[in-house]
Amino acid sequence: MSSLSTEHPGATSGRGQREREEAGRRRLLPTDRRRLRRGLAGTVAFVAVWWLAALTQPTYLLPGPVEVATAFVGELTVRATYTVPGLGFVVALPRLVVKLVESLSHYVPGLVVGATLGIALGVATGWSERLSDALRPVVRVLRPVPPLAWIAFAIVWFGIGNTGATFIVAIGAFWVNYYNAESGVAGVPRDRLEVAASLGVDDDRRMIRKVVLPSAAPEILTGVRTSIGQCWMVVVAAELFGAPGVGYQIIQAAQNLSMDVSVAYMLVISAVFLVSDGLFRFVQASVLEWRG
Amino acid sequence: MDWFTRGSADDGAAAESTDAVGSADGLAPRFDGATKVRVANVGMRYEGHSGAVQALDGVDFVVRDGEFVCVVGPSGCGKTTLFRIIAGLETATTGGVFLDGEPVTGPGMDRGMVFQDYRLFPWRTVLGNVRFGLEQQSLSQSAADDRAMEMLDLVGLAETAEQYPRELSGGMQQRVGIARALAVDPSVLLMDEPFASVDAQTRELLHHELLRIWTETGKTVLFVTHDVDEAVALADRVVVLGGSPGRVRDVVEVALPRPRSRRDDGFVALERRLRGLIGDRGP
Repeated sequence: MSSLSTEHPGATSGRGQREREEAGRRRLLPTDRRRLRRGLAGTVAFVAVWWLAALTQPTYLLPGPVEVATAFVGELTVRATYTVPGLGFVVALPRLVVKLVESLSHYVPGLVVGATLGIALGVATGWSERLSDALRPVVRVLRPVPPLAWIAFAIVWFGIGNTGATFIVAIGAFWVNYYNAESGVAGVPRDRLEVAASLGVDDDRRMIRKVVLPSAAPEILTGVRTSIGQCWMVVVAAELFGAPGVGYQIIQAAQNLSMDVSVAYMLVISAVFLVSDGLFRFVQASVLEWRG
Repeated sequence: MDWFTRGSADDGAAAESTDAVGSADGLAPRFDGATKVRVANVGMRYEGHSGAVQALDGVDFVVRDGEFVCVVGPSGCGKTTLFRIIAGLETATTGGVFLDGEPVTGPGMDRGMVFQDYRLFPWRTVLGNVRFGLEQQSLSQSAADDRAMEMLDLVGLAETAEQYPRELSGGMQQRVGIARALAVDPSVLLMDEPFASVDAQTRELLHHELLRIWTETGKTVLFVTHDVDEAVALADRVVVLGGSPGRVRDVVEVALPRPRSRRDDGFVALERRLRGLIGDRGP
């Protein structure tokens, strides 16, 4: 039997280390408490300054925290109708919820389509030097065009509306994911490919599936996470041109001088972003648990 | 395959001194004389920035079935290039390599590889790493797991099966690398300075472990190193490479019985002889 079974690994000892890590996560260390207290103090100070500043201005210029909160409640109380796409029937829901669902109907499909295409093309150009060389000039020219500039095509192809807004969100998602996927795949160390080849991986598809994608996963997931945030900004802008949703409400309310409603919806976007980012971080952490 | 094109040789192994003493249960070298690997007049020529570079010239030797052969040489003599040619990761410009009579044209499961930097897959557990090669074959999930655990037992790391590589020390990671290479039952085990990244004490233990695994499995081993002590401690025969372009200076038989002691007269004499063959540029 091996004489090395008592050898101690460098810094960690498997189970012991894991237990210690978990214990740390359950309790809040004093340093964490201190940081939370600071954050709380900063927030209170900010709200106080905001409230004071708002007192000096009419609501249509600078709504205060109380007005915004009231407007928020108002948006939850007022009913609006939502036509479920595809199924056709109509529901009455709080306006805030309706607007959120409308924005999500641009955001989610746009993000999914854009990210999928971006990752697929990025993996392809990261893997194939020939393809990468062929596409590089085209990519260089198209990439700097901001998603919103594609409005022109959105209008003539889809008209101002839901499909157009989704299209623009997709473009927003595409580039980040393309670059991250390409970089992740191109950056897979050759060493790993050599080892895998010596272990019987002899065709490209298997190599990509078993070695390249897992290796590139951290970078690809970072791209997805970035695009999750970016697409919220894009969807609001995309809706400004006439597709219904949270973005459209912000501009509508401003045009009606209901800035309190505008700000309420801005905070809604912020909250939704935090939730989606938080959810994704959870997914990312479990996929990448091997990184420790 | 898109990724597999001829790359440039990396031969910058740092010279290290070691107190390693090979020791294993005393067993006579086990080989029946049949030729396993034939390196036939191998030469390697690169197009460099400032003209052509001849890295290897006329390298010719055989490795017999079940033998433990070390290739020794100073940094820059082309021994890593030679390793890569035998492994199939590069193609010689002249001559060729034959395994069991068949020419080597690319990397494959018949030549297991163990590298200095371990090259474990970080996203897989230890068991996942060892069973990687087995997944290419048509084995059932449980059969693959069983075989992988068998290999982990062989290297003495069965209890780390569910851990990730980052949780293991260097020496343990290398043993996992050896288990992973052996899992697919290669015809020959190729090792490129596998213990250069571990401390001297661990290296000594790993020598003992490797020799034990070698006697238990009867594998043919080709071990590349810059460390003359290591070569004398481990090998049945030592191929001495030297010069630029790298050429075979000599092939020296190490007839010392194992376990071998560094202080033994025979050991010291052989070591001196090998250093002399390598020349001034030795470590």
